[in-house]
Amino acid sequence: MSGASADAGAGDGGPVLKVEGLKAYYRTRHFGSAREVRAVDGVSFEVRANEIYGLAGESSSGKSTLIKAVAAALRPPLEVVAGTVTLSFLGTDKSIHQATAAELAALRWRKLSYIMQGSMSVLNPVRRVRRSFEDFAGRHLGRNAGFKARVLEHLALVGLEAAVLDAYPHELSGGMRQRVSIALASICRPDLIIADEPTTALDVVVQKEVLDMLRQLQRQMRSSLLLVTHDLGVHAYLTDRLAIMYGGRLVEEAPTATLFRQPQHPYARHLIASLPRIGDDREMGSLPGSPPNLAEPPSGCRFHPRCPLAQDRCRREVPVMTAIAPAHKVACFAVGGHA
Amino acid sequence: MLATVRDLFNYNRQFRLGAILVAAVAGMAALSLASPYPPLDTFVVAPDLPPSLAHPFGTTSRGQDVFWHLSFAIRNTLLFGIVVALMSRVLALAIGLIAGYKGGWLDRLLMAINDTFIAIPLFPILVLVYFVLREAMSWAVLAGIMALLGWAYDARLIRALALSLKTRDFTHTGIFSGMSTRELLVREHLPYVLPIVFATSMNNMNWSIGLEVTLSVLGFTDINSPTVGGMIYWANQHTALVAGVWWWIAFPVLLLVALFIGLFLLAISMNEHIDPRSRLARIGAGGGA
Repeated sequence: MSGASADAGAGDGGPVLKVEGLKAYYRTRHFGSAREVRAVDGVSFEVRANEIYGLAGESSSGKSTLIKAVAAALRPPLEVVAGTVTLSFLGTDKSIHQATAAELAALRWRKLSYIMQGSMSVLNPVRRVRRSFEDFAGRHLGRNAGFKARVLEHLALVGLEAAVLDAYPHELSGGMRQRVSIALASICRPDLIIADEPTTALDVVVQKEVLDMLRQLQRQMRSSLLLVTHDLGVHAYLTDRLAIMYGGRLVEEAPTATLFRQPQHPYARHLIASLPRIGDDREMGSLPGSPPNLAEPPSGCRFHPRCPLAQDRCRREVPVMTAIAPAHKVACFAVGGHA
Repeated sequence: MLATVRDLFNYNRQFRLGAILVAAVAGMAALSLASPYPPLDTFVVAPDLPPSLAHPFGTTSRGQDVFWHLSFAIRNTLLFGIVVALMSRVLALAIGLIAGYKGGWLDRLLMAINDTFIAIPLFPILVLVYFVLREAMSWAVLAGIMALLGWAYDARLIRALALSLKTRDFTHTGIFSGMSTRELLVREHLPYVLPIVFATSMNNMNWSIGLEVTLSVLGFTDINSPTVGGMIYWANQHTALVAGVWWWIAFPVLLLVALFIGLFLLAISMNEHIDPRSRLARIGAGGGA
């Protein structure tokens, strides 16, 4: 693994994924009364080639809905109401939601792949690992003699031996299972990998191993990675750029180091300040209130009911993401850049 | 697979006894290939002889050797159970997996049909079918009808499993990777439900053989192909018990009882093997397996 130099330059290309004004709502009807949950409400961001882009946010902030919409893995009642998701490998003139089923099928796994949350039920418990590779990746790589060699080569890349192919998932440890599912998702060397809480079920030691492996894999394949997790430690460790999501909208986006050092949005500031540091015996304050109910979100800025800096304007108008420095965007009236 | 069978045989008494009983019955059926008498010929031996060395199970009032005739009868009966089980398994698997996975109106429609089959009384229907078909009622026709009536309980069981499998991540992964519904059901879901289906097929065989015997004893089947129920029917026709020809009834009944107990033991030991909780309990209690 010689070419895996970390200084290859993260995010050194045009955007692989471009999300613009994406709105994805859950729409249900119960006995004639329509209900709408605005889980993703006007989100825009870009993931560049060869970059690890992090998306952080607490539970029910719309992270999972966002990645479902990005991957066009929509099932009723989830609908994309507005906005576009363009992928460089699909052609930038077309949103993924306009792609035909055949186009999507050609895209998924080969160009756009998905690492599932957790590691217990990603693999079929009654199929040997070898069969899972054949079932999920075989169609894309061709089930010929070269396939097995490719699987073995790729398993070595994630630090697994050939013996795991003959194992059933329950015979593997949690870390091994997660490596297997990462190997499954990356074997076609996709341009974009979406990872949804890839290390949540693992303890910190195994977590670090898996994260190191993930970064090494990404550097080597020069794929882009969209990493979604609520664990800010994982983001700090792995991502190049980080966006913070609150109540279905992005509130701040910056290079990860900048965001951790100089968070601007009041929510982001509280979030970063709540992280314990070594030797730190402060008592951590918590924000009053609770995350917004996305079925009846607050008017204006969704953070205003809990925001210490809230003004009248915050209740009426929705702040947009505005650059306050190169590569640093914030959606807040109280922070510089907004007149 | 073979290792599983070997372990079950070594460590599970119920499985061992069941396997031995079923193997003995199957061996009896296999002996029909060596029978010196054609199955449908009568008066090939002296009638009404009690069990002896020449005729281990005696002879019937129709001049048949009970042992050799029984070998044909149990072969037909066993095959009947297997054929019904296989055919109804195919129906139950297809309907259960599709209903559970697809959901929606298809699920409701299939389960409405399913529940109808569970609710209707089968025995009167089978008698009715016999009176409608009469001469046309053959072994194969009855097997087909029983298969059509015998899938409903299992389809519900399989549907319940499919409902749970549908929400597992590997199903989502399969869809995302571009597997078709057919591939997904056959390659991912079928292997999961197969062991359970294997256990319930034993019960299904018991059920279909039991009904077939009941119908045969009453004469509501094709009495000219030898089955165990058919033997008992002929014995009753000749008032065998009154005439003291007890061996004509006793041996078919004993063989059936052995088959039922054998299949039942196999079914419950398979059940226990599949259910990890009972396996754990056994390890905890016995410390052996």
